[in-house]
Amino acid sequence: MRLNLQLKISHKGFILVLVPLVFELVFLIVLSVLLQQAEVEVQRQVRSKAIISQANALSKLFYDAGVAMGGYSITKSPLFSDRYDKIVRQIPLDLQELKGLVGDNDKQQLILGRLQTITSDGLKILGEAKAAIDDNRVDVAQFRARHMYKQIRQLADQLQDELKGLTEDERKIESESPEQQNRSRAAVKMFLVFGVVLNIGIAFLLLYYFLRSISTRLSTVTDNSFRLARGQKLRPPLSGNDEIAQLDDAFRSMAEALAEASRKERAVIENAADVICSIDMDGKFVAVNPASYESWGFYPDELMGRRFIEVIMPEDVPDTIRAVRSVRGATSKVNFENRVKKRDGSMVNVLWSADWSEKDRALFCVAHDITQRKLVEEAIKANEARIRNIINNMMVGLIIITRDGLIESINPRTESMFSTRSHEMLGRHVMSLFADARHFSVSDPNDRQSFMETLFTKALNRIGEFDCLSANGEDFPVEISLTEFVSPDGAVRFMASVLDVSERKEVERMKKEFVSTVSHELRTPLTSIRGSLTLLAVGAMGALPDQAKKVVNIAERNTIRLIGLINDILDVEKLEAGKLDMELVDVAVASIFERSEQAVNTFAANNGVLLDMKPSGEMVHADGDRLVQVLVNLISNAVKFSPKGAAVTVSSAEIPGGFIEVHVTDRGRGIPESFKNRLFQRFQQVEASDAKKKGGTGLGLAICKGIVEQHGGTIGVESEEGKGSTFWFRIPKAQNLPKQPVQVLEPAMQSNQAF
Amino acid sequence: MKVLIIDDEEDFRTVASSCLGLLGGDTVAEACSGKEGIEMARSDVPDVILLDLCMDDMDGTKTLASLRENPETAEVPVIFCTTKGMFPEFEEMKKLGALAVITKPFDPLKLSAQIKDILKTAGFACDQALSVDS
Repeated sequence: MRLNLQLKISHKGFILVLVPLVFELVFLIVLSVLLQQAEVEVQRQVRSKAIISQANALSKLFYDAGVAMGGYSITKSPLFSDRYDKIVRQIPLDLQELKGLVGDNDKQQLILGRLQTITSDGLKILGEAKAAIDDNRVDVAQFRARHMYKQIRQLADQLQDELKGLTEDERKIESESPEQQNRSRAAVKMFLVFGVVLNIGIAFLLLYYFLRSISTRLSTVTDNSFRLARGQKLRPPLSGNDEIAQLDDAFRSMAEALAEASRKERAVIENAADVICSIDMDGKFVAVNPASYESWGFYPDELMGRRFIEVIMPEDVPDTIRAVRSVRGATSKVNFENRVKKRDGSMVNVLWSADWSEKDRALFCVAHDITQRKLVEEAIKANEARIRNIINNMMVGLIIITRDGLIESINPRTESMFSTRSHEMLGRHVMSLFADARHFSVSDPNDRQSFMETLFTKALNRIGEFDCLSANGEDFPVEISLTEFVSPDGAVRFMASVLDVSERKEVERMKKEFVSTVSHELRTPLTSIRGSLTLLAVGAMGALPDQAKKVVNIAERNTIRLIGLINDILDVEKLEAGKLDMELVDVAVASIFERSEQAVNTFAANNGVLLDMKPSGEMVHADGDRLVQVLVNLISNAVKFSPKGAAVTVSSAEIPGGFIEVHVTDRGRGIPESFKNRLFQRFQQVEASDAKKKGGTGLGLAICKGIVEQHGGTIGVESEEGKGSTFWFRIPKAQNLPKQPVQVLEPAMQSNQAF
Repeated sequence: MKVLIIDDEEDFRTVASSCLGLLGGDTVAEACSGKEGIEMARSDVPDVILLDLCMDDMDGTKTLASLRENPETAEVPVIFCTTKGMFPEFEEMKKLGALAVITKPFDPLKLSAQIKDILKTAGFACDQALSVDS
């Protein structure tokens, strides 16, 4: 049984057919053997009968030959003679025939041999008798006859005995045969009946077994499918590996997968954050997942059986009904938004995804809470509105342009700035907004190209100044900054922030005018005061009493100081605004040194300080006057703080990096470490009393720093307290090949503002 | 050296002419406006004109242009005297034919020498003036 269970159904079917067939085959072979045996038996019986009959015939012939010879000897009638001859001829034939019948039976062959001898002896005797008769030797014949008779008689008896011996076996066979035949016939019959019955039996048995094994297994599978449908536990798995077992196995994995899928589905539904529900034809909830509590405050049980529009905000009901109705029409799916009234009276924005199932006659819905999204959307909208508002009301013009310079969008400020309307500007080339458009052709690609290059160079990621052209033909100054960005379509765009600086320029102009006015208004009277005082001091108006001269000198000195202060303030003002006018030319260091020395010579001499000027031979790229101003300032400071009789050394040298470094070294008191970093700030003095004692505004070094830095250079100090200081500054070396220094026409122009 | 000072401010004219006359030994003429200055320059051509840039009636630039238009005064060297001293303006003035700018306030002791230096650098002969220079 166990072995059979391992077989496949095809194998079982094969066995079902093959076993009876083999059995039948064996049965037929046995049957044919039996039939053959019966056939042999019949043949043997027939042969026995023939042998017996032939033996009898031979015996009779022999007897007849004797009778015929007797008759012939008596009658000499040819009738007997012919008969005799006939018999004599017949005897060997019969004997031969008998021999053939006997076949290979040794005993019978032996008998036949003896029979042959006997018959030939007899026939010989009879032949001799006949010859004697024919020769009329009756005596001989009679003698012979007598003698012969005995012999014949003897031979005949012998023959009779032998024949009897021959037929004895046959008769025995003959008498035995029918019984044997009957027996074998019965055996065959029985065998036939038994074989057929057995065969049918086996066939039925096998059939029963196979049917049973298949059907029970199949019924297990069928039962499993019912169990699966009812959700019951499946029966234990079928053993074996036949098709049914495989089917069962496949069915079980399918059932497992189904169970897994359904478990997952349930888990998804049970744990979903969205409300998942079914609504029947009447609009009532027929199934709701637990998310309803979290989302709407209702337990699923509370919702079951209720009409779903009861939880919808009344204002949204008509739209909701319309949407739900549409789902039963052409479309089987619909998405709609509405607001659900929660149990606590608050509401949530919900996005419904409804799916109509014609089979279930129900609407399957997933209700997604989009309150947060709505809030975000509203916030985004509000933000957008705010940004839009800012953009619309900002004082900066915004222009979005393509890489080629075509205007894509502008804000209202741009419209007012250019005195035009948005629709007139969009699509135009940005170049048409610039004063350059007067001199170049907006339609010429080359002009456009070079304009765009200029625009990008001056304004991309920096602020560039331009002159723009408004629609009414007026130029106005602007500051433009270009920013590159990638628009949502992936294309590169540029946003130009355009600031109308007309007003600022105007203010700047006014400030400049104010400064120059103040400068003019202050200096004009000071010029007269100073001139007058100097004239007095030098005695140009006649000699003054000593006391008066002293006072006039004080007045003159303080006037000069006041002038210096005004000059410094104006310079600082300009430096801070980056408006200090500088004319950068290549100028020899030696010339700077010389001019500076001239300016401070007297001052140094008055202070009893020696100037040691050691210029190098290079040229610098600088504004000569400003550089003289710096150097004079540094030398003056050095002189001020040098002890009497000490020297101030001024030297220059080229340093790596294309700079000329100038050193001003004094033997003064030095600068405290803590003060060094404040030294170049405005209104800084090492000691509060210095301003009074040494004069100076406290602006000199700040101006020096400004001037040097505006040259692209650096300034600094190295100092050791009590030993002196070295002020240094670096200025770019002249880049051009050495040439004649440019003649500066106003050599003494600023010479009066050193202090 | 004959110097014509054209300035609408009397104080300045007085101080400047004193500085030049008393300290520099120059011959000084004074004009209180551009118009007067032009006339004076035509009637008595000076060696150099010290011209104020900012004047109410006719400013220095206009005065200079007018002087240049006039053949008698077209070649007279002109030095501006101003409190501004800004280069763009100075460039303009040079175009008009001004030699230089002397900024106010000037050094009274050096004014005469300064003017002579400028003339010398520009190649004007003023031997007399130079000889007088102290």
